[in-house]
Amino acid sequence: MAKAKDALLDPLFNNNPIALQILGICSALAVTNKMSTALTMTVAVIFVTACSNAAISAIRNHIPNSIRIIVQMTIIATLVIIIDQMLKAYLYEMSKALSVYVGLIITNCIVMGRAEAYAMKNPVGLSFLDGVGNGLGYGIVLLAVGFVRELFGSGKLFGVTILNTVNDGGWYVTNGLMLLAPSAFFLIGFIIWGLRTWKPELQE
Amino acid sequence: MSNDSIFKTFLVAFLLCVVCSILVCLAAIVRIDKEAYNKQLEIRKTVLFAGGFQQQIDDGGDIDELFTSNMELKLVDLSTGEYTTAVDAATYDQKEAVDNPELSEKIPADLDLAAIGSRAKYAAVYLDKSGAVILPIRGAGMWGPMYGYISIAADGTTINGFTFYQHAETPGLGAEVDNPNWKKQWPDKQVFNSSGKLALKVVKKGKYNPSAADAVNTIDGIAGSTVTGSKVHGIIRYWFGEHGFAPYLAKLKAERG
Repeated sequence: MAKAKDALLDPLFNNNPIALQILGICSALAVTNKMSTALTMTVAVIFVTACSNAAISAIRNHIPNSIRIIVQMTIIATLVIIIDQMLKAYLYEMSKALSVYVGLIITNCIVMGRAEAYAMKNPVGLSFLDGVGNGLGYGIVLLAVGFVRELFGSGKLFGVTILNTVNDGGWYVTNGLMLLAPSAFFLIGFIIWGLRTWKPELQE
Repeated sequence: MSNDSIFKTFLVAFLLCVVCSILVCLAAIVRIDKEAYNKQLEIRKTVLFAGGFQQQIDDGGDIDELFTSNMELKLVDLSTGEYTTAVDAATYDQKEAVDNPELSEKIPADLDLAAIGSRAKYAAVYLDKSGAVILPIRGAGMWGPMYGYISIAADGTTINGFTFYQHAETPGLGAEVDNPNWKKQWPDKQVFNSSGKLALKVVKKGKYNPSAADAVNTIDGIAGSTVTGSKVHGIIRYWFGEHGFAPYLAKLKAERG
């Protein structure tokens, strides 16, 4: 039980894929200017890491060592294509906003990294939880960055006006930097700083 | 059997490929129909928005029903301004026609204010019940192409509405072309002045003078996005020029006395 808890909760703060392992930064910059895109991306990544971990773990005793990586890639790619197609079919507007970044989950090092480091050695249930945990760890950072960027960049959260902007006849002058990808670099930097101050054992 | 034997390696690779391809195919089958419908819905929604049906859509009106009961699709031969049946309107795709040498023509460099290089010979326009026409426009934006629709009332010069449905302008700056507060200054502006010359223009933010004689032809730009403003200016100057919809709008006006 303790092991299951660790698999699920460790990646949230103690071993966060973005803040500690610095993986998956590319999409964390690209899809965080709105909460809605950050949330959709989070759900997509949780789905892919959890299912790929479970699938790879299920057949781990039959994967020939020589084609191990390509087997993992094929499973991950299949799952990513499925979620990409489903978004295009059922959440068309969202799939346009996320553009290529759903497809790029294939190259997200978090997914490959967990498959190779965890799912190849652990049973299905634990691997699934580890996938969910890592997806959540990625998602927490994404949502935190998205929260700051959308609130200060557009004066909104999930598209609902919080700060009435000058362009809409209100008082809030939006921070243009927050709408552009580089602001996510600064925010992720602050998150890493905060996390390592809170938990000094994470410092290298 | 050892996992690393050649036979097992091929067997695992083969089975994995079969299972994965089936899953991918199933996902694609679900997506193809839905996506085509979603794209059509997006165009319909944009046309209705430009045509001044925003209120009905916001009130929860059914887009397909509003569209089919109000809009009629026609093809216009841009060089003559006449309607044409040279190609089937229902299957005609203006975006694809641009890349087809038989269905498109080069724009002379000095006329190419929208910086698009070539345009389709035939434009897919929508007529609504009030006699207004909704015209497709496009041009180069700051970071990528911009696609939109503009609606002109039955008199051939008064703007009903205007909207882009695809662009890649800078978020917070040029992307404010989507801001309803900016778009709402378009309705009731005049494309042509009293002597019939093209007069519609987009000026830099703050240069708009509401009491000037040409205020009715002038759109105030967007704060902080001079480039996008001038690109939109180029787009409307091209599409309402002699190489764009001017011949068609002139015909429309003449027909209706």
